[in-house]
Amino acid sequence: MIETFTDINYSFFGLLNQGPLTLSLFLHLLVVLPMFWIYFQEKKRLESEN
Amino acid sequence: MSRKKVSVWSDNRFWQRSATWVTGFASLLLIWLTFDTMGQISMGNQKDIDNHVVKRVPSATVINYKVEYNMNNHRGHEVPVIGGDDGKGNSLFKVKEKFFGRDDYSQKEADALLHLGKLASQAKNCMDCHTLLGNGAYYAPDLTKAWLDPAWGKNGPMQAMTGKSTKEEAMAEFLQHPGKYPTHARMMPNLGITPKEAVGLVAFLKHMATIDTNGFPRGFGKIKEGVVYAKTK
Amino acid sequence: MQRQNNFKYESQKLGSWYFTVAVILFGAQLVLGLVSAIQFIYPSFLYDILDFSITRMIHINALVVWMVYAMIGSVYYLLPDETGIETVGIGMGKLLFWILTLAVTVVVLVYIFIQVGPATQATIWLITEGREYIEAPRWADIGIVVVVLGFLANTFLTALKGRRTGIMTVILSDMIALAGLYLAGMYFTDNISMDQYWWWWVIHLWVEATWEVMVGALAAYALIKVVDAKREIVEMWLWIEVAMLFGSGILGLGHHYFWIGTPEYWWEIGALFSALEPMPLIGMFVHVLYDWGKEKGLKENSGVDTSSNNTPALLWLISNGFGNFLGAGVWGFFHTLPQVNIYTHGTQFTAAHGHLAFFGAYATILTAMFYMGIQGKYGIKKLRATFASKMAIFLITFGVLGMTVALTIAGYEQVLIARAQLGATWDAFFVAQNQLWMSQAMDWRLIMGIVTTVGFFYLVKDLLTISKSPKNVYK
Repeated sequence: MIETFTDINYSFFGLLNQGPLTLSLFLHLLVVLPMFWIYFQEKKRLESEN
Repeated sequence: MSRKKVSVWSDNRFWQRSATWVTGFASLLLIWLTFDTMGQISMGNQKDIDNHVVKRVPSATVINYKVEYNMNNHRGHEVPVIGGDDGKGNSLFKVKEKFFGRDDYSQKEADALLHLGKLASQAKNCMDCHTLLGNGAYYAPDLTKAWLDPAWGKNGPMQAMTGKSTKEEAMAEFLQHPGKYPTHARMMPNLGITPKEAVGLVAFLKHMATIDTNGFPRGFGKIKEGVVYAKTK
Repeated sequence: MQRQNNFKYESQKLGSWYFTVAVILFGAQLVLGLVSAIQFIYPSFLYDILDFSITRMIHINALVVWMVYAMIGSVYYLLPDETGIETVGIGMGKLLFWILTLAVTVVVLVYIFIQVGPATQATIWLITEGREYIEAPRWADIGIVVVVLGFLANTFLTALKGRRTGIMTVILSDMIALAGLYLAGMYFTDNISMDQYWWWWVIHLWVEATWEVMVGALAAYALIKVVDAKREIVEMWLWIEVAMLFGSGILGLGHHYFWIGTPEYWWEIGALFSALEPMPLIGMFVHVLYDWGKEKGLKENSGVDTSSNNTPALLWLISNGFGNFLGAGVWGFFHTLPQVNIYTHGTQFTAAHGHLAFFGAYATILTAMFYMGIQGKYGIKKLRATFASKMAIFLITFGVLGMTVALTIAGYEQVLIARAQLGATWDAFFVAQNQLWMSQAMDWRLIMGIVTTVGFFYLVKDLLTISKSPKNVYK
């Protein structure tokens, strides 16, 4: 499943790129995960409002 | 303590904060990726060629070398091969090739030629008919690997048509008087390209053919030979 | 009927000036598009006089510039409405309008009469920069930046002084990005990979990020005005759209970095992020229809007149939801995966996508803004679509869809014959161009281009006369 490194230059992103969509899924997770934190913070705020 | 029922999903502040986060973070990632890519696509120099360092965008001095576009088993697609092939699609950086009668262009001379050619490609609006690296207009052929097009080679029609005996001279002649050498009802216009500019443009084309485009265009110029590629492991 | 100027604010009047120039440039875009389409069929047409490279360049430059004009006009138009005050530097705004218009005229004249120059920096500075879509010479680039900075200052100072709405916040932050990105286009390098890397920052991050957010904000404003949609709901949708558009669009830039010399990891980034780009467009589509239906239902229940305040604008808004999703979303997704794109990159497929996307995403909503301008100018309470309004929207939409289908077929044929079958060489290109399927597609593209142009004449007629038609106007 994890392929040998095929690109010319080694780099952080290049290494993450060796599995099935691993790089893209990783970046998506980084973008989306903190939204959970925002969600629960906003939930708490709404609950405590008047 | 009873919990109030709230809807975060229909709350403006939640979406506003999410939008800010997503935009800011995606921008930061893009900047990080850009730094990484900049390092990888910076242009090489003759030292890289001497040390057999493969660059995505090689030195302008590649005009001194033989250039091919061959299948590379490790990469899984075709790559530019500079100065001879080791049999696996890797550059040997050895075999030279005359470019307008010379194969000893210094770094400075080669850089100057490429600079002139790149400027000419913009001053003449090449991209508004042709595609370069696949980007541009779709009125005329893609020029990414034009240097390697069999039409300009020994067995192609263009050298005979222009009355020249080398690829680079045929290209330069065509560029200066495209109206004289129609290949199709759709002809290239006469853009007032001078002999010097034509040499620069051909250098620019040869250099562009050595850029590693991750296998684009696939199978360029290979179909006539009927070569079938398979990734061998 | 009195033909007086009913604008409450000078800013709205300035907006209408921008709209006027935008419509004229829209016409220029169509004329040059027709010439280019004819050249595909009869290559000797204007050969060595006004070549395809020039006609196609002006075709697309006129498109970009009319859309920028219409966007600036829209912002000046909605600014007093949103902030509740007159734009602060209105005198400067008007001066900048004339400077920009003069500069655009000079650039176009140079394009037409000088066309190309010798391979020197002077050509880059004075005649053409030769980089597709942003060919404007360097002097004009700097002029544009100065004008845009003035425009930014104007909107910021006004927004700071007046009311600050969600729509205004989005527009302001979006415009900084939009203006800043243009700087990436003023750049010369011998390294073509580097050149195209930054070039896409301007093109992609304008068209698939900041422009989309801009029209999202304009749609939000228009929905409030046209169907009395509730501001809180509209602004919530707007924030969702911003999150999704920027979330997918910024890194979706990767789909332009598959084959220009950039590393392989862009394949993955470009594929997945840009595959998600249609999602916000579906969202916008649902949003427009949902709001329209909901507001209509609410009005029905309370027995009020359910009609919208500006039917032509509403019709164009609906075609925006539809066209943006179809043109940018579906046609974009068609060829955004690298596995497909290695064959479709640089074919008429891209042209097909470009035609429907620019029309669906931008032309529609900006035309809706033209109608808003008409409504404001003549102080009309309710504007009804005339026969010409309906003909305009029908013919333009039908024409653009027709061109898109024709170009898609041409692209498909090119992908299979020139690329997959024959290997992308000079010969392969012309073998594909000579196919009957290609030439028939090009014939249909011209026919549909003419249909679009006829629709445009109806649009101009309607914009000029709708206010005079008592049947269609309720004061």
